[in-house]
Amino acid sequence: MSNNNHNKALSGLTDKWQDLKDEFGNRIEDSHFESWLEGIKAEVGDGIEMLSRRARGVFNPNLVTMQLEDIQSIILRERPTPYYGTIIAFKVNEAKVGRQMLAQVLPDVTGSKEWHKDMQATLSIVMTYEGLKALGVPQSSLESFPESFKAGMARRADKLRDFDINDPDNWMAPFGDKGDIHIGAAVIADSKEKWQAKFNELKETIKAHIDYDNPANGDIEILMEHDFGSDDNVKNVFGYHDGISNPEIQGSGIQTPPSHNGKPIAAGEFVLGYEGEAGTIAPMPQPEILGKNGSFMVLRAYNSHVAEFNKFRKDNTDSEEEAELLGAKMWGRWRSGAPLILAPDKDNKALGDDPSRNNDFGYKDDPYGKKCPFGAHIRRMNPRDSKDFILSDVRIHRIVRRSVGFGEVLPPDVTEDDGKQRGLFFIGINAHAMETVEFLQSQWINDGNFMSLGEEKDPMLGLHNVKKNGGDKDSDADKFTVPADPIRKRYHGIETFNTLYGGEYLFIPSLSALKWISELS
Amino acid sequence: MSSHNNENKHSNSEDLKDKFTESLEAFKLRAELLVANLKEGGDDGYDHSTTTAGEKGLRSGKVSELTVIAPLKEGGAERLKEILKIAGGNLKGATRVGTLHDLRFVFIDDDTRVLFCTAYDGDWDPYIDDFATKIPELMDILFGNVKGWPGIKDPSVKQFILDHQITAAGWYVGVPHLTVQDIRRHERIVKGVNKALDEAQAN
Repeated sequence: MSNNNHNKALSGLTDKWQDLKDEFGNRIEDSHFESWLEGIKAEVGDGIEMLSRRARGVFNPNLVTMQLEDIQSIILRERPTPYYGTIIAFKVNEAKVGRQMLAQVLPDVTGSKEWHKDMQATLSIVMTYEGLKALGVPQSSLESFPESFKAGMARRADKLRDFDINDPDNWMAPFGDKGDIHIGAAVIADSKEKWQAKFNELKETIKAHIDYDNPANGDIEILMEHDFGSDDNVKNVFGYHDGISNPEIQGSGIQTPPSHNGKPIAAGEFVLGYEGEAGTIAPMPQPEILGKNGSFMVLRAYNSHVAEFNKFRKDNTDSEEEAELLGAKMWGRWRSGAPLILAPDKDNKALGDDPSRNNDFGYKDDPYGKKCPFGAHIRRMNPRDSKDFILSDVRIHRIVRRSVGFGEVLPPDVTEDDGKQRGLFFIGINAHAMETVEFLQSQWINDGNFMSLGEEKDPMLGLHNVKKNGGDKDSDADKFTVPADPIRKRYHGIETFNTLYGGEYLFIPSLSALKWISELS
Repeated sequence: MSSHNNENKHSNSEDLKDKFTESLEAFKLRAELLVANLKEGGDDGYDHSTTTAGEKGLRSGKVSELTVIAPLKEGGAERLKEILKIAGGNLKGATRVGTLHDLRFVFIDDDTRVLFCTAYDGDWDPYIDDFATKIPELMDILFGNVKGWPGIKDPSVKQFILDHQITAAGWYVGVPHLTVQDIRRHERIVKGVNKALDEAQAN
């Protein structure tokens, strides 16, 4: 063996060793690594469990078949807990400067290769169809994007069932027609310091292009800046542990904690340029450098009406205990994250906290929904092995969720609104995210036929209209059925607990696509 | 110039007369239909009005229609007839779809074309991808006999179907507010209630 080769092999080995050290505590299914891992475990002891809990996944470099270095981290990487961040929306008034800005921030945009390394602050860049136009992407490329993306979320209201209170006419600026969002950027970190540092870096980079006195005159215009985050570990503003179940993506090397879904889902369902579940590579934006390793993001901004949710639970039950059970029946999980299937009667914090157990269940043994109602939010969004009343492939309707909450959690006993804004940016990622979310919105959220529930809608995300439209209080669409012994309970007059105030269809370019765009002329 | 004007005037009044007679015709038709409905029709209290089922097709309540006329491959009619004969009306894959009220194949134009009609619940378009991953063989066995069928997994399949789809001119559904799932559920409930009543009576 020549000296050169020897060094190469050695450095390869050191790299692997490095990988292990960075993520010790994570299970790696490779006998060679297993023994090393045991050694480390013996050294660090109980701390390992805590670390693996934080990682919420396992990275196994042997399973990687995707070009991780080119794929933005927001697609493949879990958001940290706790998390702090900002979403910024830009309008590009000067194409050349827009491209220049992309070139400047490009080195800070985070890829997925370092997934398993210690969590650093991440920067993600996404863009709307109008944004691609404003940056001067050539017509032939623009035409190669999906029709739904070209139309934009506001114009797909029919497909998304965004009517009444959720109608794009009622949205807030700068979403939909109330502004011209071209580029979105998100900074996320696991500490306030890291978040501030990365965010300030970004602001510093773009400073020269902004006209702070007269924003509309600037080459780049900041339309929105919205902080988000959660100190309170992983709770959403309703006070429930969420974001637990995300699909495992084949070839990403990232193994999610045990869940019922069996084998990983084909890469092409989540990242462009790879084979999907049907065994074919779906068409993608052209040229290939623009499409491959990219994906699409659906952003939906919700105001959460926690006081109304609390009031609904209180008004429809006789005790605090019962009200908690009703809340769990609506979500499908207790506040701790413990699923009803595994904890049907009362919350179990140890179960909720344990990523190796809190998602490891199916619905096969609950054929009548007596533990977890068919209409519960999590059973609708991922029916797992529930009986399919209507033929559907649960594997092709999964979405990577990177949702982030904003505002304070409102305690369970508060039934009067305090007037403060709180809610959620739903962020769903999928190689055909528009189609997937339009499917979820029309079939699984705002209808019940797929679970043989008639017109019943998702109790948490559905569009209900009791008070708002002076609607029928006994309307089929506003009820929630909870199978029980000896007879089912039915709750009437569900309200829209999460109202939509904006949203966008966004393209998540690969790092090489960002570079390609920045170099257009 | 003036004669031209006269001509115009003439044709304008002709137009007006046409329009008037036309609307008179329509009015008469409406009146006849109304009288017929009054004399012979009943009212079941359901809303039988139709809307569009998407890009093509009509929808009444929850039930939509899809009508397709497509050319067949050489020998396609024979193969399709054989398949349907073997199935003997029992298309289990179609049962699994869960939204199908009925479907039919009719051979027309000396077996060179097929007329395919189906009544189904709600939206058809969002489920095509599911058919492609769950029952691709059945879909391709049935429709593979159609000239130009791209295959159920091909991204152009939705457009192919739309290109051959003809929207019905009229669409009536007896119980427009009930899906196949609703009907099955209601049947289970009625059976359950009757069983309970029978048991109560026996005691």
